[in-house]
Order: sequence, then structure tokens, then C-alpha cells
Amino acid sequence: EERGPAGPGLSAPCLCHRERVRAMFYHAYEHYLESAFPYDELRPLTCDGQDTWGSFSLTLIDALDTLLILGNVSEFQRVVNVLQEGVDFDIDVNASVFETNIRVVGGLLSAHLLSRKAGLEVEAGWPCSGPLLRMAEEAARKLLPAFQTPTGMPYGTVNLLHGVNPGETPVTCTAGIGTFIVEFATLSHLTGDPVFEDVARKALKALWKNRSDIGLVGNHIDVVTAKWVAQDAGIGAGVDSYFEYLVKGAILLQDKELMSMFLEYNKAIKNYTKFDDWYLWVQMYKGTVSMPVFQSLEAYWPGLQSLIGDVENAMRTFLNYYTVWKQFGGLPEFYNIPQGYTVDKREGYPLRPELIESAMYLYRATRDPTLLELGRDAVESIEKISKVDCGFATIKDLRDHRLDNRMESFFLAETVKYLYLLFDPDNFIHNDGSDFDVVVTPYGECVLDAGGYIFNTEAHPIDPAALHCCRRRKEEQWEVEDLMREFYSRKKTKKFTLKRAPDRGEGEDAKDPKDASSEKAGEKRNSKKSSHSLLSCPSQSFNSKLAVLGQVFLDNT
Amino acid sequence: SCSRAKDVTMPAKLPVNFFSTRSPVIDLFRGQLDYADQLRQDSEIVLYFFYAPWCGQSIAAREEIEHVASRLSDQVLFVAVNCWWNQGKCRKQKHFFYFPVIHLYHRSFGPIEYKGPMSAVYIEKFVRRVMTPLLYISSRSKLLDFLSNYEPGVVGFFEFNASPQPPGYLTFFTSALHSLKKDYLGTIRFGVVTNKRVAQEISLVHSGSVYLHRHANTSLIYPKDIMNFTAENIYKWALENREMFIRWLRPHGGKSLLLNNELKKGPALLVFIPYNPLAEIHPLLDEITKVALEYHKCNKSQAAEPDLQRLGDSDSPAFDSSVTDAHTKFSETSPIAKYPCCNTVVLPQWHSISRTHNVCELCVNQTLGVKPNKVHVPHCNFLEIEAALDSFYLQEHTFFQVISNTIECSNFLSFYSPFSYYTACCKTVNRHFLSFISSEKTIFQTPKIAFSSHGKKDNSQFSIPHIEDRNCFIPDLNISSTNITGLSCRTNKTLNLYLLDSNLFWIYAERLGASKSTHLKEFAAIVDLKEEVHYVLDQNESLVGPTLENFIKNFSVLYSPLKRHLVDDPSVPFHEEHVVAEVTTNTFHQTVFLSAKNVLLLYYAQWCGFCASLNHIFIQLARLLPPDSFTVARIDVTRNDLPWEFMTDRLPTILFFPHQRKEQSVKFPEDFSVNLPNLLKFILHHSSLSSSEPCTKECLHKESVLQQGHISHLEKEIQKLRSEISALHQAHDQLEAELSEARREEQRLQQQKHTLEKQHKTLQLHSEQLQATYDQKNQELLEMAEKLQELADASENLLKENALLRILVASRGGKQQSKDEIKESLESEQRFSEENDVSLTTAAAALEEKRIDNIDTIETEHNSGNRTE
Repeated sequence: EERGPAGPGLSAPCLCHRERVRAMFYHAYEHYLESAFPYDELRPLTCDGQDTWGSFSLTLIDALDTLLILGNVSEFQRVVNVLQEGVDFDIDVNASVFETNIRVVGGLLSAHLLSRKAGLEVEAGWPCSGPLLRMAEEAARKLLPAFQTPTGMPYGTVNLLHGVNPGETPVTCTAGIGTFIVEFATLSHLTGDPVFEDVARKALKALWKNRSDIGLVGNHIDVVTAKWVAQDAGIGAGVDSYFEYLVKGAILLQDKELMSMFLEYNKAIKNYTKFDDWYLWVQMYKGTVSMPVFQSLEAYWPGLQSLIGDVENAMRTFLNYYTVWKQFGGLPEFYNIPQGYTVDKREGYPLRPELIESAMYLYRATRDPTLLELGRDAVESIEKISKVDCGFATIKDLRDHRLDNRMESFFLAETVKYLYLLFDPDNFIHNDGSDFDVVVTPYGECVLDAGGYIFNTEAHPIDPAALHCCRRRKEEQWEVEDLMREFYSRKKTKKFTLKRAPDRGEGEDAKDPKDASSEKAGEKRNSKKSSHSLLSCPSQSFNSKLAVLGQVFLDNT
Repeated sequence: SCSRAKDVTMPAKLPVNFFSTRSPVIDLFRGQLDYADQLRQDSEIVLYFFYAPWCGQSIAAREEIEHVASRLSDQVLFVAVNCWWNQGKCRKQKHFFYFPVIHLYHRSFGPIEYKGPMSAVYIEKFVRRVMTPLLYISSRSKLLDFLSNYEPGVVGFFEFNASPQPPGYLTFFTSALHSLKKDYLGTIRFGVVTNKRVAQEISLVHSGSVYLHRHANTSLIYPKDIMNFTAENIYKWALENREMFIRWLRPHGGKSLLLNNELKKGPALLVFIPYNPLAEIHPLLDEITKVALEYHKCNKSQAAEPDLQRLGDSDSPAFDSSVTDAHTKFSETSPIAKYPCCNTVVLPQWHSISRTHNVCELCVNQTLGVKPNKVHVPHCNFLEIEAALDSFYLQEHTFFQVISNTIECSNFLSFYSPFSYYTACCKTVNRHFLSFISSEKTIFQTPKIAFSSHGKKDNSQFSIPHIEDRNCFIPDLNISSTNITGLSCRTNKTLNLYLLDSNLFWIYAERLGASKSTHLKEFAAIVDLKEEVHYVLDQNESLVGPTLENFIKNFSVLYSPLKRHLVDDPSVPFHEEHVVAEVTTNTFHQTVFLSAKNVLLLYYAQWCGFCASLNHIFIQLARLLPPDSFTVARIDVTRNDLPWEFMTDRLPTILFFPHQRKEQSVKFPEDFSVNLPNLLKFILHHSSLSSSEPCTKECLHKESVLQQGHISHLEKEIQKLRSEISALHQAHDQLEAELSEARREEQRLQQQKHTLEKQHKTLQLHSEQLQATYDQKNQELLEMAEKLQELADASENLLKENALLRILVASRGGKQQSKDEIKESLESEQRFSEENDVSLTTAAAALEEKRIDNIDTIETEHNSGNRTE
């Protein structure tokens, strides 16, 4: 009896894994509803609930769009109704500005934008109005008092009823300052109230202004005095989503300024923190290594790199991180790279999504079976290690796989979602633009759901097309109408002038495009080495064809 | 992020069986390493499978191990050890960075770690090699078999007549095991000869000598006098001196530079075949390795091929490779294949005494015409070549002044036919080299679209160039007469040859363009990493020795007929209609160049965030533009290769190909934001729709078409406006409903207000009444207090009086004492004083009663006051 050798891995996403992920979701979700709702989180070992980040039934809000991604339209509709009736933000609760934004505002925004797809009856002004949008706006308004500081950088905590508490600490982590632009700009574009985008941008610019001479930012800053309190610079905890939102904001808003900020940081990060495809922690002013550790939270970085086209480096770093997973069956919060082991008191793995998130992005870019293997390993590990009768428990210690009585809401919002999307390449979220919807709003006709969803840092997808749908749409439409009239008239009466990108500060000046482009090119050559647009990715190199199954290629340059 | 302290924790679940109890594998799921060591004592060959129960790789490998165990369990002991459970001995003693880990022991020798593919056949093969690391070669024919293998063979000669274990034999045996430890692919094979006569075949005379067989170079005998005869040394010596004509590539799946390192050595031929390591015979592999051996047999072929030898020895060594450069840069396949006619043209000498020539390769390319099939050999039209030459002569000054080592190419349009253009690639060569070039069969494929046409016309003051050769060829029939034997040494485009098991690594073949539908997983490709180009062996041809030979030869010749392979995305159905047309490598030319429309083409990649967020804009644009004169298209350049001149290094890139001037494509300026108005302006600026020429019939027709388009556009607009109006109506209705709801609400509120006001008034009244009673009571209280005061005053007076009276009584008493003697006279006086006493006490009691009454009234007053308040 002969038998052909089995392949070393998975060549295509396997539906069996997708269905296992679906089962994981419902195991956790149903137990949350049964034992923990309306508390924020399920406690899987004691089968009860607790409030953690406020009192918003957080797990339910966070898991809402995952329901739709899994195709459960009826439950999505039910939960939307439950939330409309049950969630109240007029409560005397001290809430984290950052967490409330990414989980609550982000979750509600994405549910709002997906609600038509989920078959909900939407009101006439949708997507520029709607009950979930109003809830998101209300929640976001509760956060605005935190931004009333001399620097524009927000406090970390705000009381939802009374605003910033007197005596509140002015120390906020970098990510807590720079992780608003995706949600707040979306809110501003949808509602027409610019205040959200304005405060988010102001905070981003304040961080940019306070970067060190070598171009790095620290971990925590005093939002009143703008003094850095923790001066460790890296890409992980405390900083992570700041960089993420510079890129995602740039993509969502086609904003060169945000992208140029990121690229400058990226240069400094490569220069000072990158060693052998690992990213270490360094002192932000001197650039000396302060902690040679890899943090579980850093594993989002390869995914972010793939969004801007740095797929080769992304894959190399990803493969490093994957070895840590293979060693423990999860990623410890801190991993000492030279010692090759966990760091004391940081051995836990709260079922974080970051590595799986990167695998999903990279699989889009490379179709490398290695990424599916990580997905398979994650499914096996999570099921074998952390599944308990009432849900999935945080791993308290990766060395012995002791469990903790907690299931963070990001498990259903992110971990399960990214896993499912990794194994479901035909999901609507992966739409490459071949499908779309047309919606007629009072502001005009609108193309929506054409793919390119931007995930906020809690994995809530935002449709970038929706940002072009509401208040500002009218002017553009009139301009387009004029152009179309011109188009059909036999003779051109006007010279056509392109609008420059807004950030150049010369937005409206009109020039012949040919002159403009040649002049621009000259100007660029003088000022910058690269003449390409900041809002673009490099094409993949020839050797990317063979850069799969762990093979990496060294730069030829 | 912060987390709260939580008290409840739970230890990890206890380990359970990983393998089924019926499995031939002994499962020490509590990690009993000590017991595992014990088990080893009883068995000659042991395989340890160290696993972690949560590990996906371990779970996947479990089945494979079980399969191997079921086949070998009578000879090999299979022991699985859970090396994760932290209470187990294994976890305490071993520190693994990954799972599973497979260790093999041959008696006391070990551990030999298995690092090959986690696939049953490979594992079994390896276990079998550990079982018999030395192949016993009993006869001459077996020896020949052993030596003819493409993988290096080491033969030891040991005479067993003298002693049961001749000196050195154990060392040799160990070195065979040692090589398995170092080289898990097991490329170096070890054999042992015991027969003196067989040993003589490879001129081994003394027992204990070791021989390394080599095909191309002379074979070697282990230099005992120079190196110590140790297991490590023998292995090292064999490793250093072995020949590697063709080697297996088996990426292990982890991060590795294997392909990077191998492919950077130079162009590589990758041959993908399905391989079963356990099979007795591998006919296809034998054929391929035969080609590889021939390719590398240099010393035997030197005399046979003088022409090619000269090529190898030519004093212009850079020439070949630079031809490749130029070739790879400009040669392209195109959706409609063209077979150009080419001529080598030698330009007049720069100086008559110069030893160099400028040689140009002149080709005529036809963009129209039917694709010839293989049988039909297209002939070059003599007139075409003449015409091309005429054009060339007019342009040749541009090449004339070139004296460089690189090849310079240029395209220019024909004066005679709008569908042809010419390509000339020129290069300075040494004069004596020419004869060779001219006899070489060449073909030159070039892009269809001109880079830039040279406009200047200059009368040449030099003598007229002449045609060297007028042969025309088609690539499929280009079977060079050169021999494969020793070709690797005669060409500067030496190939490294590699084998890949398509059962494991077919993905690389697919990446290089192997058809996904084929069930026969055989494929060959030449990859040139430096030139960023690859060629594939036509998958319609079966992969056999001769086709592979031809493939290699075609690559090696000066003007290679191989065409750069362009990988396309077969998953895009051509006929599927999208608003934005999806272009692939195969449909690129047709959609962009052959269509009679203006084409806006977006280069994108699905993974690039900046591209995906523009989807909606291009969809809107495509819906806006009239589809009969405009195509909005896009191409995913990650999955679709394009000829170099159409490639772009940034994504997204937007190109506009105006109708009738397709070659004059324009790029959307990168500095402007991509939005609908800007794109429209860009198109309007460059489109050829409007013209200022006087109107002819055609123009009138165009005009009417345009107006038709306008009308349909306006109709669409009206449609849109209607739906917008209806949306507004809806919104209006909704507002209306909300407004009436609000009005009803207002009404209700108004009513509520009224009732509340009424209630308020009654409450007001009530409170006034209460106030009044309060005031009244207060008044009473005050009065009472006054009275009380009066009473208090009165009582004080009375007390004073009382005191006075007491004093009076006392004084009277004093007087009574002094008047004891006169009792009788005072009797009447005494009665009077008693009466007085009684009246005093009654008065005091009455006063007391009144006071208590008063306090009661105060208390009740106070209570009622409280209530009213």
C-alpha cells in the first residue's frame, strides 16, 4: 500500500477551520448572553459577568459586527434593538477615553455602517443619520471634555456624567492620545460636525510636535506640560495604535500629512529599534536599547506594513513572531529575545488578536500557506488550552497554561473575527471592489460597500466610501455635473485644472495639470529624494513570487 | 492597558492520551522521559516524537508518525513524549523552541534529529536510512548502480575475513550515521564493499580505505595520512569534495534564506517532479539527473564542440551576459504572438583601422496578422526587411556613435506600414567575433509600443551598412545543434540545477506560472533573480530529458529564443462584466490597445490600502462615463505580470490611453488627490473627444453619437434626480411623521403643563392655609409665652412673698422662743400662724398645676408647627 507524501501545510484555506472558528464564537457569545449580559464581560471560570471598562454591555457592542461577518443577520438585528434600548451613556462612570472610543464608538460606527447590509430597515438619511450613529455620537461627545487641555492631548480618563474629574492624572499613554482619527473623522464626515476630527487631529499634531530629536516618541506624556513621563520608545504597548492610526487615517482620508508623519517615524523606528527583524525598546532621546523584548501587542506591525506595501519586511518579522507562538502556544505579553523566554510577571496571553490580524493582512498580500498554518495553530491552541465550559479564558501564564477568570471583549471583536476572515477569503470584508452597493440619500447618490474596509484598532470595519457620502458630497457633485456638461459639449471652453492635495496648503490654486505636474516634479526633486506620491505602495519585487513557505530574500540594494 | 486583579484562576487541564491506545506508538503523555530512556535500552532503533498537545504541527504530524509506525513497528520502537506538561520530566529536562521534535537513536548513537518534511514517506525513508546507514555492496553490478547515482557516494572497503570487525569499520559506520545527523536530506550515501575483487573496480586495495566517487572530476581516496580517520573527518571530507550537479531544495517552512542564497548564485533551473522517496525506481528523476550530469561533464566535451568552446573562451566575456541583460529587458510575450524577422546588420567601422564593429540586430515586428501555428513557419517578407533597412539607415547614426559594452536598443516606426515597427539593438564587438554571431540563429522579440521614435534625419556621411544574415526563425523550432554535454562550462549563462518535490512545493511552481488545473505536477522553470526574469518550459510539452535539454540549450545560446514568462491570474473570468473592467496579463493588450475606446487603467494590488480605498471612486467614474467610448479598467499587478514598459513601481498608478493615440498614454499626476472631479478633468484634458477641425461627415456622426451619449447621460441624471427626490420625499415624510409626533408630544406636554399648573395652584393654596395656621399657632404660642412670663413673674413675686413670710415666720419663731415663759398669753398667736402656713401651700400647688398645663400646650403647638412646615 503506497501513499503519497502529504504536503507540509495547507495550500488553501480550509472550510473545516472556518467552521471551527464559528463554533468558537458561538460557544463564547452564547455563554456571555446567558451568564454575563448586561455586564461588560464574561467571567468564564465563575460563569458570571463583571463591568470592566464602563457599563455598556461592552462584549455585546464589540461582538456586533463579528455577528454580521459570520453571516448571522437576525442576531445582528436583535442586538441592535437591544442596544438601542439598553445602553445609556448618562452614567456616573469613570471611563477610559481610549477604550471607550475604540470599543464603543468604533463598534457602534461600524455597526451603523453595516446595518443596511444586515437587512435592517434604515432611515432615509442613512448613512448620514441613524440610531446607532446617534449613539456613537453621544458616546463620543462624552469623551470630548478630555480634550480640553492646554496641549490638545486628551486625559486618559473621563467621567461620562461630569467630565474630567478634578485631580485627574494628566499622564496619558501615547496611544491614548493618537488613536482617535479613524472613529472621529468618520463621525465628523457622517454627522457634519467637524469638532471630532478637529480634536483628533490636534492631538496627533501635538504628539508629532513633541517627538524627540531622533524622531521617536515615548510611552507616556503629561498632557498639560507636554513632558514625557515614560521615555521608552518602541512599537508596542502604549504606542502601538498611534502608528496604526497614522497609516489608517492616511488611507481613510487620503491624507498625505498623516502619512508623511508615519514615514518619518518609520525611518526612526527602523534606524533605532530594528534588530534582525525584531523591534526592541529604546530610549527615545538617545536611541539606546532599554528593553530587548518583544511584546504581544507589537504583532500588529507586520499587518500594518503590508497595508503600505512593505510586504517583504512584514513577512520576515511575522516569521520571527511565529516562532514565539510555536514555543508557547500563544504570545506572552513580553518575550525576552536574547534569553528566548518569557519575562517575569508578563507571561500571560489574554487571547490577543494581533498576530492573527497580521496573518490575515499578509495572507491577502502573499497567499502564503504559512499564514494559514498560524491560523490553524491558533485554533488548536485556543481550543486546547483556554476553552472552558463557560467560554474561553485568558491564559494567565503561558509557561504552564494556567487560566484566568476573564474573557476580554476583544476576543469576540478581534481574535475570532480575524481568524474567521483568514479562513474565509470570500467574505464580503475581502471585497476587492468587484461588488458594491448604490444608495440614494438626500445628499445624492452614493456608492458604498466597495471594499477597502479600514479596521479600527478593535477590528471594527469602516467603509471608506461612506465618508464621501454625506454633507460634503453636494459640492463635489455639482462640480462633477459641470464637468460632465463640459464633457458632452463639442468644444472645450475651459482649461481643466486639477485640485492639489489639500495638505499642500495651496489647495485651490488652479494650474494647467501638465505645467503643474512638471513644476511639481521639479519642486519635489529639490526638496525630497523620492518623487512618488506618499499615498502609494511599492510594487512587489520579482522575488516575492518565491517568498513563500518561510523563504525570505535579502534586499538587493 | 490595565487589568484588574482577579482571584479565581484554574490550573491547566491534566494531560490525556495524544495517540490512541491501540496505536503502535507508545504515548508517554505525562512526559515520563526517564521511562522513555529505559525503553531505549531494549531496542536497536528508537524514534522519539516529542510533542505538545496544543501544537498544530504536532497534531498534523501525529497521523504521519502513526503511519510510519504501522509499517516499521517490528523493527523500530516509536515513543511519543509529551514534552509540554510542566509536571512531566521531559519538560523539566528539555527546552524545545518548537514542536514536534523527532529524535532517532541507532543503539547508543544519537540523537539524530529529523528535520525533513513532516510527511510519512520522508520520515520512513529517513528512519530506514538510520536503520541501515551503510549499503552493503555485494557485487560489481551493485557497485555500478551505487556509483551511477547522481547523489555523491562514499564507498568503504573492509575485509571481514580476518576479524569479525575489521579496524576502522566502526568509524566508517559511525561516519555514515554522523552524516545523517548533519545532513538530514541524506545526500551523501555510504556503501561498504567486502569483496576484494569488487573493491578493485574502484582501485581500492587495502581494507579500511574509503573512496568518494565523482562523475566529472577524478574520484578521491580518503587521505588517511593527512587527516585522522574519524567519523567527523570522513563526513567532512566527503562533504567538501563531493560534486553537486543537481540538488534537492526542501525548505523547512520556517524563516530561511535557502532560495535567496541558491538563486543569488546565478540563474537556476528549477525542476518540479512528484517524488516518493520510498519508490524503488525513479525513471523521470533518472532522466533529469542524466541531463544534469551531461550538462556538467566539462572535461570530456572540450574537443567536441570547438565553436562553442570559442564562445566560452572569447575575449569578450561580458558580451553574453549583456545580451541577456538587453534581452530580458526588452523581450516580451504578447497576447497575440508575433514572430519578427530579424537581421544582423554590421555598421561601417568607426575607424577603418578599428578592430571593433558596431553590430545591430534589426527586427521587424508586426502587430497585425494571425498567430502562426507550429507547423506553419512564417516567412519573412523580403520587402519588409528591405523597408526596415531603409528606415534603419535613416536612423542608424544614433547607433553609429555608440561604442559601449552594453546593448542599446531602440524602436522606430516603419514609414510604410502603420502596423510595423523596427527594433535595433546595437553593440560594439571585436571584429573576429562577428563570424560567430552572424551564424548564430537568433530571434528578437520586442515590445509592440515604441519607447521613443527618433525624429532626426541626418544624412549619413558614413558608408552604408550591410546585412550579414537574412535568416528568419521561429522560436519553437529553434533546436540548437549544440550538444548539452559540458554546456555548463562553455556558456557564460551557467545554470544551477535544482529539484523540488511537487508533492510538497508545488506552490512555487504555481507562483512561476504552472497551470493550476493540471493534474500532472511536472514543471520546469529557469529563474534569473538578478535579471528579475524567468522562463518556463511549455507545460504542453512533457517533461522528459530531451525537452529539458532543449530548454537549457535555448537558454544558453547567445540570442535566447526563450521569452520572459508573464504570470497571469487565471481566476479572473474574461467575460464577466464588471463596471470596472478587470484586466489580466492575457487580456491587457486586447482591452487597452485593441479596443476603440478611451481607456483609463488603474494599476492596483488588493493588499495595498491606498488602492482599496479608491474603489468607490473608480466605480462612480465608470458609471458616469459613456460606456461606448470609455473603458474604466484595472489590473492587479501582484497577480498579473506585464511587459516591462507597462510596469509601474508604485501603486496605485492611473494611466490614460486616449482613443487613437494609445501609445501616448498619460499618467495621472501623483501629486494630485484622486477624486472624481480631478479624474474627470484629467480625462477631459487628454481625451480626444473634442476636436477643433472642421466638421466632416465622420465628425457629424461622432457628434451625433456624442449627443446620444449626452442624452443618455442626462436621462440617467434625471433618473438619479428622481430617486434623489424620492429619497428626499422619504426623508420629508419621515420628518413629517416625526414632526407630527413631536406636535402630539407637545400637545401632551401642554396638557400636562396645565394639570401641573392646577396642581401647583392647589398646592399653593394649601401651603397658604398652612402658613396661616402656622402663623396663628405661632401667635398663640407667643401669647402663651407672654402669659407664661407673667405667671413666672407672678410666681417669682409669690416666692419672694413666701420668702418674706418665712422670714417673718422665722422671726416670729425667734420671738416665740424668747417668750417661752409667757405661753398662755401667746396661744392665740400660734393658731394664727398655722392658718397662714396652710394658705401658703395651697397657693403654691395651684401655681404648679398651671405651669404643667402651659408646657403641654407648647408641645402640641410645636408638633403641629412641624407638620405644617
